[in-house]
Amino acid sequence: MTSIRRQLLLWLFIGLSLSTVVAAFAVYARAREEARDLFDYQLQQMAAAFPHEGFGPITAPFPDESGMGDVVVVQIWGENGVQLYLSRPGSPAPQSMDIGFSTVSTPDGSWRIFSALVGNSVVQVSQPMSVREELAASMALRTMLPLLITLPLLIVLIWITVGRGLKPLNEVASAVSRRSADALQPLPDDRLPAEVKPLVAALNDLLLRLGRALSSQRSFIADAAHELRTPLTAVKLQIQLAERAVTDAERASAFAQLKGGTERAIHLVAQLLTLARNEPEAAGRPFTPVDLTDVARQVVAEQASIAEARKVQLGLSSAAPVPIMGDPEALRTMLSNLVINAIHYSPSGGAVDVEANTQNGQACLVVTDTGPGIPAAERQRVFDRFYRYEAASVTGSGLGLAIVRKVAERHRASVELGAGTDGRGLKATVRFPKV
Amino acid sequence: MRLLLVEDDSMIGDSVRQGLRQDGFTVDWVQDGRAAELALGNEVYDLLVLDLGLPKKDGLDVLKTLRLRGNRIPVLILTARDTVADRVKGLDSGADDYLVKPFDLDELAARIRALLRRQSGRAAPAIEFGELRLNPATHEVTFQGKPLSLSAREFSLLEVFLDRPGVVLSREQLEEKLYGWGEEVESNTVEVYIHALRRKLGQDFIKNVRGVGYMVPKRS
Repeated sequence: MTSIRRQLLLWLFIGLSLSTVVAAFAVYARAREEARDLFDYQLQQMAAAFPHEGFGPITAPFPDESGMGDVVVVQIWGENGVQLYLSRPGSPAPQSMDIGFSTVSTPDGSWRIFSALVGNSVVQVSQPMSVREELAASMALRTMLPLLITLPLLIVLIWITVGRGLKPLNEVASAVSRRSADALQPLPDDRLPAEVKPLVAALNDLLLRLGRALSSQRSFIADAAHELRTPLTAVKLQIQLAERAVTDAERASAFAQLKGGTERAIHLVAQLLTLARNEPEAAGRPFTPVDLTDVARQVVAEQASIAEARKVQLGLSSAAPVPIMGDPEALRTMLSNLVINAIHYSPSGGAVDVEANTQNGQACLVVTDTGPGIPAAERQRVFDRFYRYEAASVTGSGLGLAIVRKVAERHRASVELGAGTDGRGLKATVRFPKV
Repeated sequence: MRLLLVEDDSMIGDSVRQGLRQDGFTVDWVQDGRAAELALGNEVYDLLVLDLGLPKKDGLDVLKTLRLRGNRIPVLILTARDTVADRVKGLDSGADDYLVKPFDLDELAARIRALLRRQSGRAAPAIEFGELRLNPATHEVTFQGKPLSLSAREFSLLEVFLDRPGVVLSREQLEEKLYGWGEEVESNTVEVYIHALRRKLGQDFIKNVRGVGYMVPKRS
């Protein structure tokens, strides 16, 4: 797992270490250069200090003026190559053939040598390189020392800053983990850094939508359980009446009622399932090309016998194909619910008309009846599940129009309820979006 | 005893009415809150069985209005709303009992009997009157220690009289207690039942108050 904190700390430490090392080397190189210039100048000065007249045999050592006597070896060579003088007998100072500066490597380390012609003699001033390196190192160290001392401080600072910078994230994380599955209150988003705010906003948005979905699910289950209680209460009472029945006629009538009650419960469960299947969250079947006229024809054929039994004229008044993309099964269910409602609310001798057409480029399904209609004030509420308008006359599941709306929503269609022809009855129009 | 049943669901309403009739109650049934208020205006009912989720006017509103008008009729709420809060609200709105759906017909009848008993100020489930003893739950009657056979209507009529001893009840009042809506009332039926009761309990058991009605005198 990648951790922002670990990544930040790792790269900050690598960067810091690398830059410290590079700085140390740069300082050391610079110090060495300075040491070379300084010591070279001193060597040259020393050589120039010798008298120009040449040397006789020298026995006494030169006074050590520079204070570097222990590290500087002076040699004087005669014109015939005879060593006239060696400031430090037994010193491993090498001999250079070049006049001027040269660096000579010996098994005991490198030497820096300055040779000058003084009269007929050659004066060579040599110094081990190690002296310069030690000096350079100590100079570099002295320069780097404050940096090295502040380094741990810097590390601690980085550690704290990274921690503090990431604290809002940790707070958000712990706030999220404190949320229980049923308490989806939004996360606090005040005093959050700009980088974390969008994350929290997105999370809150998700929580809100989750909460809405959850509460709608919960209320659906509560409603469903509540509504199931009604047909089950009826069934229970009908069973008791059947048990009490003394005569065969009483028993037959009780069982007929019981059958009706059971069928109502079954119908309610079927409607609940249909509703759940058409929830937008449910992975529905993919849309296929559907002819609405074809759907209307099937539904009218299916419901013809019920209409006949209730003495309601049911008919289809369109023939031209109205193609859309949709879920044929769901569309059939939707139209069936509209048609069944229309049949049930129509008086005996009434008429229900089904039509599929195109209005202003929009495919439409229209169901018109000659029933009592629905007052304008009630036309929105009737879509609520289990809401029954004037329940006394018709016993339904209370889910028909909720199913209609769900299927319509899945097809991004709108459902309008209005007055039927001549202002009587009800006209339900499902309007599909323009292609 | 005449009850008003307010229940919007036709199947439940039908079954409850049928069941309570079998238990010897006279039941009128309405399916919405407004019809319930209209029916309650008559004040002939001994008890109200009230569903809460009603069209036109909610059951609780019906109940509150009823109590506001000072009507003391016993009320039994019959509902699917089963949370403690709902029950508390129902009882605090003036209900005397609360039964949650799905319920048992026998329990409903028993609770109705209990409410009626309490209303008439009796402690024991059986009605005792002199040498007469009625059990409203079983419809068993004993007179002078011997079991007495009464028809359902005779039993109901006797129950009405014993509920208000010393009160003169007109023929119309008695008919109202005995017959629900839609039940055919043949002329002279009340007289027929009174005659039958007198034959079984003695001529003087039910007194005729000429021009007014009938009464069962109080016993000391």
